[in-house]
Amino acid sequence: MIIQLIVDRLKQLIPALLGVALVTFLLVHLIPGDPVALLAGDRASPETIAAVKTRYGLDQPIVVQLFYYLKNIAMGDLGQSLRFRIPVTELILQHLWPTALLMIMTILITIPCAIILAALAASHQDRPLDHAIRAFSVAGIAIPVFWIGIVLARIFSVQLGWFPVAGFGEGLWDNVYHLVLPSITLAIGIVPVLARNLRASLLEMMEADFVTAARSKGVPESYIFKRHVFMNALIPNLQLFGVIVAFLFGGTIVVEKVFAIPGIGQLLISSILGRDYYVVLGLTFFFAVFTMLVMLIVDLVSMLIDPRLRS
Amino acid sequence: MNALAIPMRAVRQLPGLFIVGFVITFAWIAVAILAPVLAPYDPDAIAFDALLTAPSPDHLMGTDQLGRDIFSRVLYGARVDLFMGVVGLIVPLVIGVFLGLLSGYFVGWTDTIIMRALDITIAFPFLVLVLAIVAVLGPGLSSYFVALALVAWVPYARLVRGQVKLIKQTDFIAATTSLGFGSTYTLIRHVLPNCIVPALVFAVTDFVLIILYGSSLGFLGMGAQPPTAEWGVMIADGQTYLSTAWWISFFPGLALLTLGVGAALLGDGTAKLMRVER
Amino acid sequence: MNYAFRKMLFAATVAISSAPNIASADGVSISIAVAENPQQLDPMRSANAPDILLHGQLYARLLHRDSTGALSPGLAESWTISEDGKTYVFTLRDAVFADGSPITAEDVVFSLDRTLNHPESAYPAPLSAIESLEAKDAKTVSIALKSPNAPFLGNLEVFNASIVSKTDVEARGEEEAFAKPLSSGAFMVDSWDRNSSIQLVKNPKYYRDGAPNLDSIEYRIVEDANTRVSLLKAGEVNAVEGVPYANIAELRDAGFEVPLEASTKTQIILMNHDNPPFDDVRVRQAAVMALDRVAIAKAVTQGLVTEVANSSLPGALNFHSQDDAALPYDPAQAKALLEDAGAVGAEVTIIQVSGSQVSQQIALLTQALWSQVGLNAKIEQLDSAAFRTRRKTERDDWHAAPAWYYNETLDPDLAVRWAVCGTCGSNAFHTGYRNETVDTLTEEALSETDVAKRAELYAEIQQISTNEVVHIPLYYPPFTNAYASDVEGLFMTPAFQWTLEEAKRK
Repeated sequence: MIIQLIVDRLKQLIPALLGVALVTFLLVHLIPGDPVALLAGDRASPETIAAVKTRYGLDQPIVVQLFYYLKNIAMGDLGQSLRFRIPVTELILQHLWPTALLMIMTILITIPCAIILAALAASHQDRPLDHAIRAFSVAGIAIPVFWIGIVLARIFSVQLGWFPVAGFGEGLWDNVYHLVLPSITLAIGIVPVLARNLRASLLEMMEADFVTAARSKGVPESYIFKRHVFMNALIPNLQLFGVIVAFLFGGTIVVEKVFAIPGIGQLLISSILGRDYYVVLGLTFFFAVFTMLVMLIVDLVSMLIDPRLRS
Repeated sequence: MNALAIPMRAVRQLPGLFIVGFVITFAWIAVAILAPVLAPYDPDAIAFDALLTAPSPDHLMGTDQLGRDIFSRVLYGARVDLFMGVVGLIVPLVIGVFLGLLSGYFVGWTDTIIMRALDITIAFPFLVLVLAIVAVLGPGLSSYFVALALVAWVPYARLVRGQVKLIKQTDFIAATTSLGFGSTYTLIRHVLPNCIVPALVFAVTDFVLIILYGSSLGFLGMGAQPPTAEWGVMIADGQTYLSTAWWISFFPGLALLTLGVGAALLGDGTAKLMRVER
Repeated sequence: MNYAFRKMLFAATVAISSAPNIASADGVSISIAVAENPQQLDPMRSANAPDILLHGQLYARLLHRDSTGALSPGLAESWTISEDGKTYVFTLRDAVFADGSPITAEDVVFSLDRTLNHPESAYPAPLSAIESLEAKDAKTVSIALKSPNAPFLGNLEVFNASIVSKTDVEARGEEEAFAKPLSSGAFMVDSWDRNSSIQLVKNPKYYRDGAPNLDSIEYRIVEDANTRVSLLKAGEVNAVEGVPYANIAELRDAGFEVPLEASTKTQIILMNHDNPPFDDVRVRQAAVMALDRVAIAKAVTQGLVTEVANSSLPGALNFHSQDDAALPYDPAQAKALLEDAGAVGAEVTIIQVSGSQVSQQIALLTQALWSQVGLNAKIEQLDSAAFRTRRKTERDDWHAAPAWYYNETLDPDLAVRWAVCGTCGSNAFHTGYRNETVDTLTEEALSETDVAKRAELYAEIQQISTNEVVHIPLYYPPFTNAYASDVEGLFMTPAFQWTLEEAKRK
């Protein structure tokens, strides 16, 4: 059953990736602005720009460029960065680790916080603790990420000197140390979303018929909560969590800018602004594969928790 | 019975926080409508002799780097932001709920097509796709709305689909179907009211997120165009002045925060009412 | 790819034991947080600001400009100029590249020829006077000019007159060779994490005795201005490029140096002369007179700049005339001019680069002041790629644009060619301004060797172009770099280069 699902998903991956590649390719080429004019500087003459374009193959009709691009992808080549003249793969790998670590740390902070807050709030429904948690979570949602980042950096780095202001450092512990504030910043934006939804699902499940039935049979409340309420409430939230992990990538863009982390979010933004077509395409492609894997994992875990979904 | 017809029993049980949320939200709506009456200054009027002045009786929330009255701009900003949040929210919500219902209820090719479209959309980094679409269409709010319609339906579709799949297992749906009611009737009358709660709860969150993403766009110069008074853009513009003129971004931030809190409490209350009714 | 993998492995294993704090490189080091991302280390391929700053450190040139701005012999030990001013013969000193290979006349000819004649050269203008280049022998270069050229020696000092190794470029190929270039200058590239940082180390073979003082430089690319300021305050970097005006007082209070270095920059508003209503000189004059430029300068710079630009040319340039030529603030007169031109109520589009506080403020202030005299402006923000394309090629879709430019040398020739000359390939900085007298005077002034006469010619160019409003001059902005108090001798020269060669740590 599960193996079948994995095989099916992998089969679906290919058309989806093709769709992503096509849409991105057209989209980036539709954005006004010329990579070569940016690269050479404002003082370059039209002739110079034309010469550089010819060398990079950017003078070809867009259909021809698309053809070569797809052909290269099929052979596992994501192309070269127009700005830095190095392979896109090399550039992505160079920027991958900081973002990966940032996301891992953020998730490690987010999950326990969201579950504890939601469970506390749901079990103290409409009592002060519930109100406090909900107020916190709403406030957390309504503050812009960059604002939280700047304020945290001002307090804990500039004033108190506990953490580095920005950058990534050298070596694992130094990396982790540099990412403490950025990952807290990101988590502050995500925990509330998850906690709120988890709380709502928990409350709903507490009133569900089968829970009432279990209660009437005298099943202990803590057992009901763990076995029925919690597990059932988790399923729609797992889906949401998958979406959030995907959205997290967008969040890292802002946080990486504020904390000057040399990750792929920064790379993506600077590549869009620099019209570095193949880097944007390569990153989107990479991200697409990543997201689809996350979604696959989410579905698998959902199935494990809830046998009903296996049918 | 219609899910939105609130019985008196539920109204009497309305939690205090719901009322608070209702009051805050509608206060902001009132502010948005009455902005021209309430605002002491033209929100775009530049005053060279009043640059960066701290809050005072003349300028309740101070002035910004161009001498514009922050209080007036915050009031006018309510118009822009409520508009942005509502329009930006409704289209993806409707699309997402609709597709989620179809996808969850009808297995087979309907589900497959919708899920593949969802896979492709979700496979893009959200901000990137929005950025790219806005860049293609030209900066401004209308481009943002188009981008949201194309991208932001995903969470709703997923949430609703998950719920529908669960509800389909329950006895009463099986009962309606066996009684010979059509799919459309069953979907709208029974499935929709029972699966929309998580979507609505998320929508309230999303309302604030949409405004925040709009502010990120403003931060990148692709949101509301100057001199439009939009809270997100005002917050982004003020960040340079955090240590010298905190009021520039503090008050729009506070406005966004209160609206967010109000909307969220309202959303919680609504979700609860719907549960009570069911 | 290997490097990235090694780095990850390194991070995962070895470094567990490493100290948590910034391990400074051996010797004396300076760390600078810069705003923009260097992309091309090939001096011929780019005229972008972040690249130029690095070219200056990585390559030596025939002449050298010290931190006082004076020209002195560089790689060329001495030179002679023929009677007619058209032939320059340079004798090279015994200098070597970082790998120990000698810098020869062949390299000089190769380098200058690339910048001048390569079809992909980004900015050949500084060397455009050259007719031919010849390596007489290993140490002698002869350069023939098309006509006498007053600023020629100075132009041989600009960033893209940098000397690169012919042997190396030919052996490794251009892309490889400039991914990690062979240095002829004071510093060389140690490592380059593209998009995030560049580490430079001292070039031990650099020809100038005792220079540089520093052993290494860390160049950190930090886009966000607030983050740059915070890094400096927390002591994580020693210098910051481009501090926002709003943060200067705060940094000064905290004991940092923010000297406001004189620059050859000028902050302006471009006008599109190809597109009504600004094709009419009366409307352009009205547009200037509608602006309270003093108030704009003060508002944008937080009162740090109080003097307006008096003309279309940067104030720091040689021969700059002090006679105030720009039109005064006079809204009544502006209205009259608009009525006269039948342009009252005209709709115009101001395009503006997103992400720039300065240009946004200028756009908003201009919009407000213009509306008071009857010019209705709409502001459109564009990211810099779209902005540049719009400005250059989509001529019907914009009317005005806040902008700035700078000059590589103190001689006005290049500035005139860039900003006001209509036949010099720049379209008068994308304005489309065309005045035959100015164009003729530009060429005349270039070959005029009498200093007093040159001064007169440039004064005339300045007078005409300012009066006809080629663009709206606002103010001459300083560089707003900030330094920790233990940094000595580091600043930015008016011509936009760091004095890293002379810099020290106390």
